[in-house]
Amino acid sequence: MAERPPLDRPAPDGHGGGFSRRSFLKGASSVIAAGGVAARSLEAGMTEGAEAAGAGAPVISGETEITLDINGAARKLRAEPRTTLLSALRVRLPEPLTGTKEVCDRGNCGACTVIVDGRPVYSCLQLAVDLQDKRITTVEGLGSPEDMSPVQAAFCRHDALMCGFCTPGFVMATTACLDKHGTPSEATVRHELSGNLCRCGTYPHIFEAAQTAAKSRAGGGLR
Amino acid sequence: MTTQDGGGILPGAGAGADGSTDDASAEARAEWAGRDALTLLNTDIPRVDGPEKVTGRAKYTHDMRLPEMVWAKLVVCPWPRATIEALDVTAARAVPGVVYAEAYKQVGDELTYQGYDGIVAAVAAETPEALEDGVRAVVTGYSRNNPPLVTREQSLADGAPQIGRGDVNMRVESSTGDREETAAALETCDAVIEATYTLPVQHHVCLETHGTVVDYRGGTEATVYHSSQNVTGGARDFARHLELDSENVRVICQHMGGGFGAKFGAGEEGRVACVIARALERPVHLMLDRRQEFLMAGNRSGSRQVMRGGASKDGKLVALSVDAEKFGGMGPGSLPRPPYIYDVGTSFAEVRQVHTATDPNRAQRAPGHPQASFAMECMVDELAYAIGMDPVSFRKANLSDEVWHRQLDRVAAEVDWAGHPNKTTPGQPGADGMAEGIGFGVAVWGSGSRPSTVCDVRIAPDGAISGSTAVQDLGTGSRTLVAAIVAEEFGLGVTDVTAHIGDGKLPPAVYSGGSITTGSIASAIKDGAYQARVLLEPSVAAALGTEPGHLIWLDGRVYVDHALGRSLSWKQACATLAQPILGTGRWQEHLTGRGVHGAQSAKVRVDTVTGRIQVLKMVYIQDMGLPFNRLASRSQINGGMIGALSYGLHEVRVLDEDTGLMLTDGLGDYRIAGPQEIPELVALIDDEDTRQEAMGFAEAPIIPGHGAIANAVFNACGARLRDLPLTPDKVLAALAG
Repeated sequence: MAERPPLDRPAPDGHGGGFSRRSFLKGASSVIAAGGVAARSLEAGMTEGAEAAGAGAPVISGETEITLDINGAARKLRAEPRTTLLSALRVRLPEPLTGTKEVCDRGNCGACTVIVDGRPVYSCLQLAVDLQDKRITTVEGLGSPEDMSPVQAAFCRHDALMCGFCTPGFVMATTACLDKHGTPSEATVRHELSGNLCRCGTYPHIFEAAQTAAKSRAGGGLR
Repeated sequence: MTTQDGGGILPGAGAGADGSTDDASAEARAEWAGRDALTLLNTDIPRVDGPEKVTGRAKYTHDMRLPEMVWAKLVVCPWPRATIEALDVTAARAVPGVVYAEAYKQVGDELTYQGYDGIVAAVAAETPEALEDGVRAVVTGYSRNNPPLVTREQSLADGAPQIGRGDVNMRVESSTGDREETAAALETCDAVIEATYTLPVQHHVCLETHGTVVDYRGGTEATVYHSSQNVTGGARDFARHLELDSENVRVICQHMGGGFGAKFGAGEEGRVACVIARALERPVHLMLDRRQEFLMAGNRSGSRQVMRGGASKDGKLVALSVDAEKFGGMGPGSLPRPPYIYDVGTSFAEVRQVHTATDPNRAQRAPGHPQASFAMECMVDELAYAIGMDPVSFRKANLSDEVWHRQLDRVAAEVDWAGHPNKTTPGQPGADGMAEGIGFGVAVWGSGSRPSTVCDVRIAPDGAISGSTAVQDLGTGSRTLVAAIVAEEFGLGVTDVTAHIGDGKLPPAVYSGGSITTGSIASAIKDGAYQARVLLEPSVAAALGTEPGHLIWLDGRVYVDHALGRSLSWKQACATLAQPILGTGRWQEHLTGRGVHGAQSAKVRVDTVTGRIQVLKMVYIQDMGLPFNRLASRSQINGGMIGALSYGLHEVRVLDEDTGLMLTDGLGDYRIAGPQEIPELVALIDDEDTRQEAMGFAEAPIIPGHGAIANAVFNACGARLRDLPLTPDKVLAALAG
């Protein structure tokens, strides 16, 4: 039965010397950084990067020091052009912020959601070097256990978490939803949270928490 | 609820303090207080670690950052069956930042299944980026061995390589009843249904992947951070891999991102982390990536059940013949013995294991039960319609345990079954092509407890109070349970008590599997709190001028039962202690119980033009002995319903038949239910269960939901779907004919 077709290469992503779509995208980012192009979606960045490369822009590689505005403070860190914002937060910061979770690292699940200039983004799809002039808010920046934001407090009250691994992403997405819509309908909440996944099954309690937080914020104490 | 006014004798808030004056007899022992006397337990208790989790402060294994820590990753062959043609780590070692690259297999080695056997090498580096480069620099080449043996048909084909235990691809695991006798009984039935029910392999999809951070820097001791369902039992594996004494290996799991049955033992990823740590004498961070999690971290076995069932026209299940196959990859698969929950006059069941060259199945929330339930609930439903009987009445007629009768009535009422127009024949779509229907199912779980758990309850003169046991918290709320049971004993708030869990240096605790955690730990916590109270009461009673046994602990104070004006605050009470006290609690059989029931209804809308199924509402009721935390219990019930909905409508593992490559190796391709797919959910706690016993239940709610949905689809429009997931193409095919 041991029929042997030719060697199967390149192997899929991350296995045995293969060159993946993602590694290509992250590689392309080095040129964006050098070009000083403002942050944009990964796809747009790739296009710009390719153009810049064609124009002979300088390519940086290896570690450089960058500064990110995280939770209202300027944080210096060393990062490579391909370092994602997620990795910058979780690994590269001298005092890592591990509240932002890595689950799929592919933009499928929303666990790594942070708020950049007021908009929720997947930090696994953002390159840290692109974000040096942006305001980044992570789950740690919303509140502390002693002083929780309305969304965080409502999540606790409604038990909108079980294992808690998707929770930071949902807290950020819910916060962004309420920032955008004020007092959204449940349908709007579902829509705005539809980029996030939970495996324990906390969704109904998250929907309840969003409504409670919206009321609480409407009553003052906006954060 | 008991109040303080009136000056009468109040029931104590805690065990043994029933208000009688001579309860210091030899029989004194911890007892659960009556439900009316509870002030914290049996209410909604927000979990005590919620604030840490919602603010990102909770540290999971993934989040550990240790000095000198290296990042490590496995190199994995993607093909199920292959021969290694090339494997060279030389270039990886030369990558800047790479500190370790080793091959664990050799050129010429045959890889026999997709999973742990495919681990060919590992790399460790100073940064994740260097690790990525290092992994990419490992040279690998494989020739695939055909057939890949990833489907039932490939596995059972003539001449197929035999790969399972004992070199067989199929083995009969059990055979119960008499085939001929059952066939004869089927001949006597008024209605007989012949049907084949199939369910695909399901993944756990723990959001935190499997892995460890091994903190070993040489010497004789190590600390292992492990995303684990078995903190106490976990040290053994790691000690073996580190070649240390197990008492010198401390396993820590403060928080974990899901387990669902897949996270027992160190696993190969844990073993490799230990190998690297020993080589480098530095802490090693090794978590599976998402793709590896799909390839090698376990699954719920698939199932194919060929059934012939028969009923009499008066509504009795007369006979059932089942030929079942379990698809557990290289593992045995799981399936409880048919006919599962229902009473059947004469039955025969043969259960076979069918092996494919894929990752062995592992326990997954209610192992085997969702598979058995789907087939059985659909068969029961088909027979009910075949004899023209309401499917709720038909179920009750064939369930001897009457708990299910009241539960079925309750979930039927919640979806207005009484007002539903089509109870004995399927409905018709309206002019818009839409049809609505209702379906049912029931659940069972053994639950129970193990005697291994010990819980220390400490009280200090300054008022500090804690409960300590090594138990892990999978997200079910075990940390909160420790605090709540201790707090209840002394009339405190849940946040007044510090719960120490998830650390192998704490008193031993049970593993978390089969919903035995609550039953096992609750009795030990209760006993520890009771023992501590027995130690605390003498000095407090003396200060209040009374005897132990005459104290009432309520709302953060302690009162004298016959003189409520005399009281101390909690801190004043503790200040009567000369030194800290320790109550050591152990499992107490009389505080625990076993055996839980559930019932499910589901209401769906089927678009008969597009085949789309929208679940409108799901209602589930669960008994659970003494409910401890009603809020967390409803969360678990919701989670079960959503898990079943996700399994029923969305989840399917797909392996390419030609190459064996897993096509659903990410959360983009392996779909789980998201916010848009969630119906109205009603999670009910069955308060007619008055057992004063602790027991877990959370396996049960994931069992019947997908069967109830399939039955609702039939009730709506007559499309009988027997193959999960219930996708639109199958609806249209069934309607066509």
